[in-house]
Amino acid sequence: MSPEIFYQTIVNGLFTGGIYALVSIGLTLIYGVLIIVNFAHGEFLMLGIYVAFWAYTIFELDPYLSIPLAVVLIGGLGALIQRGLIQRVLDAHPLNQIVLLVGVSTLLIGLVQFFFSAEPRSIHVPYETEVITLMGLRMSIPRLIAFFASMLISLSLYVFLRYTRTGKAIRAVSQSREAAKLMGINVNYIYMLTFGIGTAITAVGGALLAPNHRMIPTMGQAYSVIAFVVVVLGTMGNFVGAFLGGLIIGVVETFAGFFLGGDVKIIASMLIFILILLFRPSGLFGRKQT
Amino acid sequence: MSADVSNKITRNPRKSLWHSLFSTWDRTQITASFILVGLMAISPLFVDSPYFMGIIILAALYAFIGISWNIIAGFTGQLLIAHIIFLALGGYTTIVLLNTYRVSPWVGIFVGGLVAASAGIIIALITLRYGLKLDYFALFTIALLVALRTLFLKWEFVGGAVGMYLRLAKPSTAKMIFDSKPPYLYIVLALLTLGIVIQYLIYNSKMGKYFMAIREDEAAASALGVNTSRYKTLSVIIGATLAGIGGGFYVMYVTFIDPTGLFNLGVNVEIVMAGPIIGGLGSLSGPILGAFVNKPIAELIRGFLAEERSGITLIVYGLFLILSIMFMPRGLAGVFHSLYLKIKRPSKEEA
Repeated sequence: MSPEIFYQTIVNGLFTGGIYALVSIGLTLIYGVLIIVNFAHGEFLMLGIYVAFWAYTIFELDPYLSIPLAVVLIGGLGALIQRGLIQRVLDAHPLNQIVLLVGVSTLLIGLVQFFFSAEPRSIHVPYETEVITLMGLRMSIPRLIAFFASMLISLSLYVFLRYTRTGKAIRAVSQSREAAKLMGINVNYIYMLTFGIGTAITAVGGALLAPNHRMIPTMGQAYSVIAFVVVVLGTMGNFVGAFLGGLIIGVVETFAGFFLGGDVKIIASMLIFILILLFRPSGLFGRKQT
Repeated sequence: MSADVSNKITRNPRKSLWHSLFSTWDRTQITASFILVGLMAISPLFVDSPYFMGIIILAALYAFIGISWNIIAGFTGQLLIAHIIFLALGGYTTIVLLNTYRVSPWVGIFVGGLVAASAGIIIALITLRYGLKLDYFALFTIALLVALRTLFLKWEFVGGAVGMYLRLAKPSTAKMIFDSKPPYLYIVLALLTLGIVIQYLIYNSKMGKYFMAIREDEAAASALGVNTSRYKTLSVIIGATLAGIGGGFYVMYVTFIDPTGLFNLGVNVEIVMAGPIIGGLGSLSGPILGAFVNKPIAELIRGFLAEERSGITLIVYGLFLILSIMFMPRGLAGVFHSLYLKIKRPSKEEA
């Protein structure tokens, strides 16, 4: 592996990892606040990319312009699902929660398959294959945009959680439901809001993929799995952990794809998953589990 | 009136047949299960159509697989979502042994059970240590399913993406290939009977009580001296073995296996999860009741709706899971249990 290819692979890995980071932040945020693993998480990314497809075919809207649409529609749908369904199983046995979310995931895939068919779809925009070369590194324009957009959104979400009143309320609930309730925070509203935000940024990840990514209704599952690995690596509920974990998994996967071939790269994620579970189940940023 | 009957029974020290069959809810569930098995056993007398026989055979198989999942998820409360992995491993083992090594499926499906059990042990060793978050187990099995699908798609020895077909051969009992449905029915009913008995024995054993203690509160069970890692692993091994055997029979019956068909979360919902969830997870009769709702509905959808538009099957199953959890968390068995209590002790309810 020559240095050029090495650096090129790192750049490609970071570009892939940017979207992973975004999706994983959504998952980790939801886990941190609601203490529930969103097993339907990848489906919200899939919905995001289909919103872009739908807006593109009907209104000829550029995929990047459909991002606000994806935020409103899919974030709203997420909030509704939280309020109508998940809210009612928050205190149930974890198995019930998982079965419910598997049901939601199955339903969403089914609905998209019903309306858009199981055929692969794609969007064709003029800039889809455009490339710029910077310091000898080739960068695809859509992926470059996706990367910087992911970074920007992650950063804004971080600032939002850190400094705004609502953000502080969300963090308070994730630290202690009971204490937050006693401080007058409307915990149920925060749950709904958090689930909405988590699914909305995941849908944005989908819309960002739209310009140069084929879409099928079951594509979300692969992203769910990657997000699972990332949040376990970066400690469940840890924002920065999910962000860095996403970039790490992106780079590792791209290197694995280089050596093993693109289809088998998931094996690399799986090996990482096994290693974390065996040797550091609390993740890179967690204290040792007791 | 029913109150009188039950009073008489409790006063009478000599147990009647009726009493021994229906005296407790657990016994009632077992009796009901065997009545269903008996009805299926005589079904060839009045069902001619191979199509309907096929539905009965697969319903019985779904019930058996439901039992295997019920032991892990229902009794022990472990979040093993992608249970279909074991089914697929058992199926692949059986067909590879038969096609490539000419090993009779009568042996092969049990080897399939062993392979599935070994996979269960490996998964348990990685994810079921005490103190690891419960969710990790679910996350891990789903990730494993996706990884195995990728692996099997690339693995030419087991047919890659094309999958494996049973070599067409003359009907032969030694190869478990028959030209009519009833022999398959009796094999699967033997499996189902085995499943019902094993499930009942576990339910009433000390081990079963440990399983349920772990489900209710693992920390408390551990504090009381239950080696929770060991019992969680045991429940996974038992469930995986049964599912592997079921997978072996499945592939002999449908004569075909491929990675996208079985390493598939949607199919997992249909074959593994829907039945026990609808029927009542954790109960003795749930997987069996559920399978007899699940399979006919699946066929109805296939027959009448899915032709029109794809995706309907997934929509219906998604709704099944959601509605069951929201409105019937203890499933049909839970509904029947309440009915049973009402019939049995109306006087106590009033008091």
